[in-house]
Amino acid sequence: MNRRTLARIGVLATQTLLVLVIIVALTFMVFSAWPADPALLACGRPCTPDRLESARVFLGYDQPWYTQVWNYLTGIVAGRTFGEGAGAIHCDAPCLGYSFRLGAPVTSLIASRAPVTASLAIGAAVLWLLGGVLAGMVSALRRGTFADRGIMALTVVGVSAPSYLLGLLGILVFGFTLDMVPVANYVPFSTSPIDWAWHLVLPWTVLAFINAAVYARLVRGHMLENLGLDYVRMARSLGLTERTVISRQVLPNVLTPVIPLVALDLGALLGGAVITERVFSMPGVGSLLMDAVGQTDLPVIVGVTVFAAAIVILANLVADILATVLDPRI
Amino acid sequence: MLPRSPHPRRRRLRAAAAALAAGAMLALSACGANDPSRNTGAVGTDTGTQAPAAAGELQVLSSSNELNLDPAKSQSMAVTSLALVHRRLTTWRVEPGQEVEVVPDLATDTGTVSDDGLTWTYTLRDGLFFEDGTPITAADIKYGLERTYAPALSGGLTYHRALLAGGEGYTGPYEGQHLDSIEVVDDSTIAFHLNQPAGDWPWIASTPAFSPVPEAQDDPESYAREPVASGPYRVASANVGVEVRLERNEYWSSDIDQMRTAEPDTIVWQLGQDTQTTTQRLLNDQPANAISASLVPASTLAQLASDPASQDRIVTSDPGPLQYLSINTERVADVRVRQAINYAVNKAAVLIAMGGERGGAIATTYISPGIPGREEYALYGTEPEGDVAAAQALLDEAGVSSLDLVLLTRNDSDSVARSEAIAQGLSRVGINVTIDAVESATFSERATQGDGSSYDLALGSWNPDYPSPNANLRPLYHSAEIGQGGYNTSRYANPEVDAAIDAAAAEEDPEVAGPMWAAVDRMIAEDAPSVPLAFARNSFIGGSAVGNYYVEPFPAYPNYLVLSVEG
Repeated sequence: MNRRTLARIGVLATQTLLVLVIIVALTFMVFSAWPADPALLACGRPCTPDRLESARVFLGYDQPWYTQVWNYLTGIVAGRTFGEGAGAIHCDAPCLGYSFRLGAPVTSLIASRAPVTASLAIGAAVLWLLGGVLAGMVSALRRGTFADRGIMALTVVGVSAPSYLLGLLGILVFGFTLDMVPVANYVPFSTSPIDWAWHLVLPWTVLAFINAAVYARLVRGHMLENLGLDYVRMARSLGLTERTVISRQVLPNVLTPVIPLVALDLGALLGGAVITERVFSMPGVGSLLMDAVGQTDLPVIVGVTVFAAAIVILANLVADILATVLDPRI
Repeated sequence: MLPRSPHPRRRRLRAAAAALAAGAMLALSACGANDPSRNTGAVGTDTGTQAPAAAGELQVLSSSNELNLDPAKSQSMAVTSLALVHRRLTTWRVEPGQEVEVVPDLATDTGTVSDDGLTWTYTLRDGLFFEDGTPITAADIKYGLERTYAPALSGGLTYHRALLAGGEGYTGPYEGQHLDSIEVVDDSTIAFHLNQPAGDWPWIASTPAFSPVPEAQDDPESYAREPVASGPYRVASANVGVEVRLERNEYWSSDIDQMRTAEPDTIVWQLGQDTQTTTQRLLNDQPANAISASLVPASTLAQLASDPASQDRIVTSDPGPLQYLSINTERVADVRVRQAINYAVNKAAVLIAMGGERGGAIATTYISPGIPGREEYALYGTEPEGDVAAAQALLDEAGVSSLDLVLLTRNDSDSVARSEAIAQGLSRVGINVTIDAVESATFSERATQGDGSSYDLALGSWNPDYPSPNANLRPLYHSAEIGQGGYNTSRYANPEVDAAIDAAAAEEDPEVAGPMWAAVDRMIAEDAPSVPLAFARNSFIGGSAVGNYYVEPFPAYPNYLVLSVEG
């Protein structure tokens, strides 16, 4: 890695931090303009005007918006306290807000659910990367054959089918009808690695099928393009076996644009595979968000949005760095 | 291009295909993934379908991500989750085919009231203990109530706060201040001093706030997950968003608790479960020892109509919770027009949108069935399709030939279907309805928070927090409940009705109060601030091993206190 590459990574990191701060502020402002009053959740029944006002004061919603944004930003760095004295609620740094409804800091809510989402996303990513690249290679090398057409037809299904449809179909066919896989819930890896994987097989497959389609098409296109280039003809004429040509010469060139894409897709999933988690009753970050939206639990909505944005931005950074390292021309 | 040299690759592909096939066989051989007898050894996160149906374990499959067990923050009923862990001063007797009754719980009776109606006194039973063996005293009840005033712990049912004297400006016990209107007479006697007579007080004493909380063990940040139990179960483990496991509280005794049978050894809440999957699982009886905490949706009910086997799994209440159409009295000011709307609505069509006979029954009163004091009457005819001629006559009399109204509704498919049925019914008399379907939160904001200028009609549903006409009529029709979070979405203000509600609410003798409430119901109906559309039936689904699973019109939820599980 030369000095120029390092400098570029430094610039990228600075940009990332700046974008993060802006996103936090923007997210907070957008949700402050939410039509519903977030203090209503903390008002109780019957809700009287003075109780609503005291809930607003307690949660800090009585402050002007810029003060709220500032409190939120400082809360991430230094933590926050709601209320005063022995009855106060503490939210340790990095404080992404406090869910009055769930009685817990948003940060700890996300932290307790992140492993579920990570298990789901990373497992699926491995599957779709393997599946997508393999399918794309087969398709390109067997161009025009039955296998090629079959794979390309499948990718159309994968790209266009919504995850809830595939998820529900999968549960119906493999869970209820064939009784091959469990239909709901998550088992932590630390409890039982086998059951962990066992419960995740179906969601992994569904997510992988949807995402692999894009990769198969991408790999096929790049592969065909590369196979027609001079360096391949050169390698073949030097007497290298086809196997060596594909694995040593073509594949690295094909994978250069694929790897950063994995980082991006994985980042998006880590922020919460919203629909998939809900369909499979997995207690991940996405299902936390779904629930919060249904209940207008604003601190959770804001917190998860900020978290998801941060992950996507970090994934972008990783993708940029990977691209820089893999291809020094960038 | 050079000729391909495919042989090595072909061999590899064959190997891959063989591996795939082997994998598929392996997967197929693993049939029985959802067999309840298969033990995965999962601890903490129970695997639901795969967990052993341990003798005496009841599972509650909940779509919610939380199970809040802090009585100050709870809005739950006296016969559901929270009541398994916390006892209150009074509770409900909910038995099949009988009207719900308020009965003593921690107290020896449902309360003794002073002659002026301002002081209610309760005596605690002997031999009451928390889960750690410390005795439950009157001071624990007082402390539990005081903490409902703390801003950090608001969000629960707080009917007592409007009634206890001197509560204005009180902010809870954490700074050492106490509320004098809750008087600890001695260890087993507690007295409440009210600012006005309240006939409902015995019912209010059954709300979660009247649970004992030991001051020494109260941490407002964690009490929702680590409460100190007074009921038959204590929290064994609580994993936020995943699972809450209740186990027996050794210090609870059935000798001094007649309402809780406490048959299961453990009760486990599985949180964040997809309702559709849950329904399907329970239809397959997987697991047999579970119930769903959610209503069976109207669409699913319709599908199951043709499946007789499903009927063994589903319990349905008689018609209960009121579904109604509010008419904004500030914008539709002419009472004749409002009465015409009452005649013109096609309630039969609304009922079809609710899933037909399985979804409910047509309503003509505001007080819902199952609530003491209710009298049946029909001021605007009994024709299910409505009375178009009568409606037209009233509109002609009012000199209205065409009318454009905005109907505010939540945007879920059930609500929109009902709104369409209403619009169609009203179009028969030349009333043109525009349906304004919005997000649930936006609905609340516009209907209960704003100045009411954005809608003429609003679709609502009401199940009171406790079975008294006061909890049924006051929130919907008292002028003090307009805007600022109140549920009087008709924005109906009639001083005579207000006075009649207040008078009936102050009456302590239910026998006397009953007819007073029935009269209020009629009095409101004459002003036609809303159209009672239907009384909904609630359906729930449970596994075959669950016993005592029934739903009454009120509370329209199963009685969790008596559920049993076959071992």
